Amino acid sequence: MTLPAVDKRKQPEHEHRSPVRAFTSKSAAGLVVGLALVALFALVRVLAPSTPETFGLPNAARDFATLSISVVVESLPFVFLGIVLSIAVQVWLPEGMLLRRLPRIPVLRRLVLSLLGMLLPVCECGNVPLARGLVVKGLTVAESMTFLFAAPILNPVTIVTTAQAFGWGNGILVSRVLGGFFIANLVGWIYSRHPRPGELLTARFQETCTVADHDGGAAGKVRRSVQMFSQETRAMMPALFIGAGMAGLIQVAVSREVLVALGSNPVWSVLALMLLAFVVAICSNVDAFFILSFGATFMPGGIVAFLVFGPMIDVKMLALMRTTFTAKTLLQLSLLVALCAAVLGLAINYGH
Amino acid sequence: MVIRRLVGRWQGVVLSLIGLIATIWLGLTGQLALYIHPRYFVFTVIMAVIAGVLALAAFVLAPTAQDGHDQDGHEHSDEHSHDHSDGRGSRWSWLWPVGSVLTIVAAVVALLILPPSTLTTATVAQRDLNGSASALTLKAPALPSKGDYSAFTVRDWASLLRSGAGQDFFADKTATVTGFVSADKTDPNVFFVTRFVVTCCAVDAQPIGVPVYHPGWQNEYTTDSWVTVSSSFRANPNPASREAIVLIPDSIAHTTQPAQPYVY
Repeated sequence: MTLPAVDKRKQPEHEHRSPVRAFTSKSAAGLVVGLALVALFALVRVLAPSTPETFGLPNAARDFATLSISVVVESLPFVFLGIVLSIAVQVWLPEGMLLRRLPRIPVLRRLVLSLLGMLLPVCECGNVPLARGLVVKGLTVAESMTFLFAAPILNPVTIVTTAQAFGWGNGILVSRVLGGFFIANLVGWIYSRHPRPGELLTARFQETCTVADHDGGAAGKVRRSVQMFSQETRAMMPALFIGAGMAGLIQVAVSREVLVALGSNPVWSVLALMLLAFVVAICSNVDAFFILSFGATFMPGGIVAFLVFGPMIDVKMLALMRTTFTAKTLLQLSLLVALCAAVLGLAINYGH
Repeated sequence: MVIRRLVGRWQGVVLSLIGLIATIWLGLTGQLALYIHPRYFVFTVIMAVIAGVLALAAFVLAPTAQDGHDQDGHEHSDEHSHDHSDGRGSRWSWLWPVGSVLTIVAAVVALLILPPSTLTTATVAQRDLNGSASALTLKAPALPSKGDYSAFTVRDWASLLRSGAGQDFFADKTATVTGFVSADKTDPNVFFVTRFVVTCCAVDAQPIGVPVYHPGWQNEYTTDSWVTVSSSFRANPNPASREAIVLIPDSIAHTTQPAQPYVY
């Protein structure tokens, strides 16, 4: 039953592989294993029962699965895009092309890096593999943090959707953009003073950094691209799946009505909405519409705190960033960003 | 530690394959709409195909290379130091591959075995029905000048009801709406014809609904089942109810879940 499926798919793959390197029995075996897995997974999917009632799951369990799957299906293409961009930066871009053009003064360098999101409009989950790629290429750890936190906010798609949702006039868009820019640079400045930045990274990722760069030529580059794809997916995919599962679980378990009820108090609206941002783990490109849909009951400071904190820190992002930064660093980062976002939100609430 | 090496090396590629096969299958069978907004369909499928090519290339290229062996060595020592830096003794090192295998199993069950499904009334209860402002802003040109309301959806009617239009406005209007049945929390005689409004993916779905007054509906219709209701609007016979204006149906027909269960 599986064999015909394997044969069908073999043809196009043949063309793809042949220019890359000579045919060896080992790579043929690898191809067969790969195609067998594809056929097996496809077969399972096609043969699995198709009516939701089959398993007799309670509604809450079904919604947990639906929500988690929805996070995976939504984020997966962005993560792949981030990985592809990261491969492009690391393998295909001429040496130093990107980083050499940055200013040399650290503060200016970070300022420019925080605008890099304008050119590479990837969602925040795609930024993690890209930031890893940039660190391997020689970006400092502090600079990578600035990029990671600024890019999802200083991003054309995010700015347009925020403007659509809230308009230009009422300060929410401006506060979001400037606040995000400021926090990202502050974080970068603080961590640039760290005496041993290497310690901020996980041992596993440090290893990746030192193994970079060897063999040239097109064939070597293709090989390295593919190797990096398998390396990056190994780091990102478990994090994405676990993060999605946690996001789904929290959504089923935590009642949003409680959070929403807190929304009209100047202090609680900020804290509640930051908690909401942490919990829902939604993409920065669309979070403005999401928070708009909770109605006008929230105070503007709470909304700004949501829009600034959410893209930087949330359940899914923590899982993804854990592939690169140590747990201690992430805890510090989360507290620092949360503090900044809360101050920003409170300032807006009380300044009005 | 063969299993550990295998898992360590292939976990990412295998998880990618599971995710992208599920995505492509959902796309081919027209069920992506259960999870994400239609504007992402093309992008999602294209990225899945690109990742599929890369994943297969990983199977072809990775095991042949000399530096493939190199890498195994790296991985091994690397994992060791990783364990140590986290303060876990080697006694617990088996947790790592077990966790990885569990992730793969969970992914297979969720993405390849479970039948795709819409959100249910459990989420309606979790999120405030008709509580969301932007889901209920009427698209501007929606009000027809001369009484053709046949194209009005659940969302349009729910928006009108929420906008506070009076009873006079609804007096001569007939609505035909399709949605799933969810109970009114306060009034046992009322159920809602419900839909989810999705702005990005199912995670942000907001429930909206049109109230239907039909005492004893519990005996005829189960919650989560899909119905089409056609009727005119009346004042709610129970003045204490939160819903002042309701549909009092001449006909309620069972129906099947539409291909696009969410509204956008």
